[in-house]
Amino acid sequence: MNLSRRKFLHSSAAMSALAAAGASSFAGMARAADATTIQYGGSAWLGHYPAYLAMKSGALAAAGIDQQWQSFGTSSARMSAVLSGGIDIACTGIVSALALMARGSKHFSIVAVPESFGKVEGLFVRDGVNSLQDLKGKKLGVTFASSAHLLALDLLGSAGLSNDVTVLNVPAPELPGAIQSGQIDAAAAWTPQFNRIRAMTGMKLLADDTQFSLYKKYNVTPGPDVLIVRNAWAEKNGDAVRKYLKVYFDACQTLRDKPDEAARSLIALTGMSALDQIETIKGADWYSLAQQTQLLKSPGSYVDGLQRLAEMLVTYKQIDKAPAVRQWINTSYL
Amino acid sequence: MNHRQPSRATLLSVGFASVVVFLLAWEGACRTGIIDPLFLPPPSAVAEKIVAMMADGTLLANVLASTRRVMTGFIAATVVAIPLGIMLGTSSYARAAFDPILSFLRPLPSMSWIPLSLLWFGISETQKYSIVFMGTFAPALVYVIEATRNVDPLLIRAAKNLGASNWQVMREVILPASLPQILSGLKIILGLSWTCVISAELVAAREGLGFLIMNGKEFFQTEVVVLGMVMISVTVLVTDIVFRAIERKVLRWQA
Repeated sequence: MNLSRRKFLHSSAAMSALAAAGASSFAGMARAADATTIQYGGSAWLGHYPAYLAMKSGALAAAGIDQQWQSFGTSSARMSAVLSGGIDIACTGIVSALALMARGSKHFSIVAVPESFGKVEGLFVRDGVNSLQDLKGKKLGVTFASSAHLLALDLLGSAGLSNDVTVLNVPAPELPGAIQSGQIDAAAAWTPQFNRIRAMTGMKLLADDTQFSLYKKYNVTPGPDVLIVRNAWAEKNGDAVRKYLKVYFDACQTLRDKPDEAARSLIALTGMSALDQIETIKGADWYSLAQQTQLLKSPGSYVDGLQRLAEMLVTYKQIDKAPAVRQWINTSYL
Repeated sequence: MNHRQPSRATLLSVGFASVVVFLLAWEGACRTGIIDPLFLPPPSAVAEKIVAMMADGTLLANVLASTRRVMTGFIAATVVAIPLGIMLGTSSYARAAFDPILSFLRPLPSMSWIPLSLLWFGISETQKYSIVFMGTFAPALVYVIEATRNVDPLLIRAAKNLGASNWQVMREVILPASLPQILSGLKIILGLSWTCVISAELVAAREGLGFLIMNGKEFFQTEVVVLGMVMISVTVLVTDIVFRAIERKVLRWQA
């Protein structure tokens, strides 16, 4: 077989490229085989943005972590999956975590706090209602067993209106419709319903999470998000948790410093417009890895605030007894 | 071989003993750690919760709220379904006209009506009644149509030959002949309406057994979840007994 020099060079280059591609795909396969698989319990809620961003940017894969995203409609459903061993890491509203702690569950630990979303949750009223007192005899819609519910109970309790306002259980997606059709006079909601109600004409924000009684002293909102790990899994995969947290807080930094860039990836998760997405990212305060030790220090202001929150849940008869929150905090992976 | 039938008292004792053994085994499994009480609470914890909620009146309030919703939706469904069903059962033209609509409505679960009912009736009690109504109406209608169609045509012909008017045939022949089957069907529909009320109470409810179960689930209060389930069973049993009594009274000629 006679090959010209040019043909020989082309063939050699093609063979080399094929070999290189093969080698790199083998290396990729080997990496994938070595990767630690993490079942993550997520949703389109902003507390899950760092995990989603870290997964979509490839940062988790580069750290040898294969994150499997499982979606849940509520924190309680997600925590049930943690109990049954289906989820290894999840972001959850603290109320669900506190409810489980109150039941004595030792299945999970709080390892980090991703953000504070106090400015995108609040109580909306119609124009003309200028104070909580003006809500006397009116109907307030809120999703029961949510952080907004706790905010509403706290605000009404502080104003001495606990028995004077009819608090109705309305699912979060139905709140904008219910207030528009006049079925309720006020609504306590969080983003994205928060943004939708705020955009309605004739509505105004009467109070947000920063008016919550525990916020001023402890910087704790009614239902802060926490990142939890399933203990049985984390004990065997400590290094993976450490790597995970590193990548996770890199994503938090992107959310804090480059919201426009982060928004591009998150639109696929949330279905929001680019503008709304950027606004929602900016609506939360994203914590850093360096802040975690201070936040989760016990005794410390934030953990004390979580403890007061647990006691408040008992006062409002949402849980039977307040757990000692610090027993569920584990900073060893930070 | 002489097979003696066991007495009623013996059978009742066997039933009672099986319940006691079941409850003891359940309690024992929870107490010894075979079953984590977080996943399934012991019967004693459920009983404690029942006593506490009876004492503060919340249990009765929740049972009554659900019963009111069930009965309103169920009665509304039967009031519409019985005359309409008899009409469809006796007229092949009416049946041909309504059959496609009925075939569309019948397989729809009560849950699927929630979004539309919220738009139509908002977060009111009417919305909850409508969920029970929509979940039970089509099955009730089918039972009535079938019961009417099963009436012996000879009876109808004989009545007509004796000069009975259409109304008399309906009142004196079709209704009495189909009533036992209609009532049997409605008894099943009454059970079905309890599943509908649970769907109805998933949304915008502040009380009721469905609300109790869902709220218990949110806070991992599994004894409240089990309590809600037990109360549904007890309430269905009680309404079934009441229904049987009504049935015996209405169908006196069958006794």
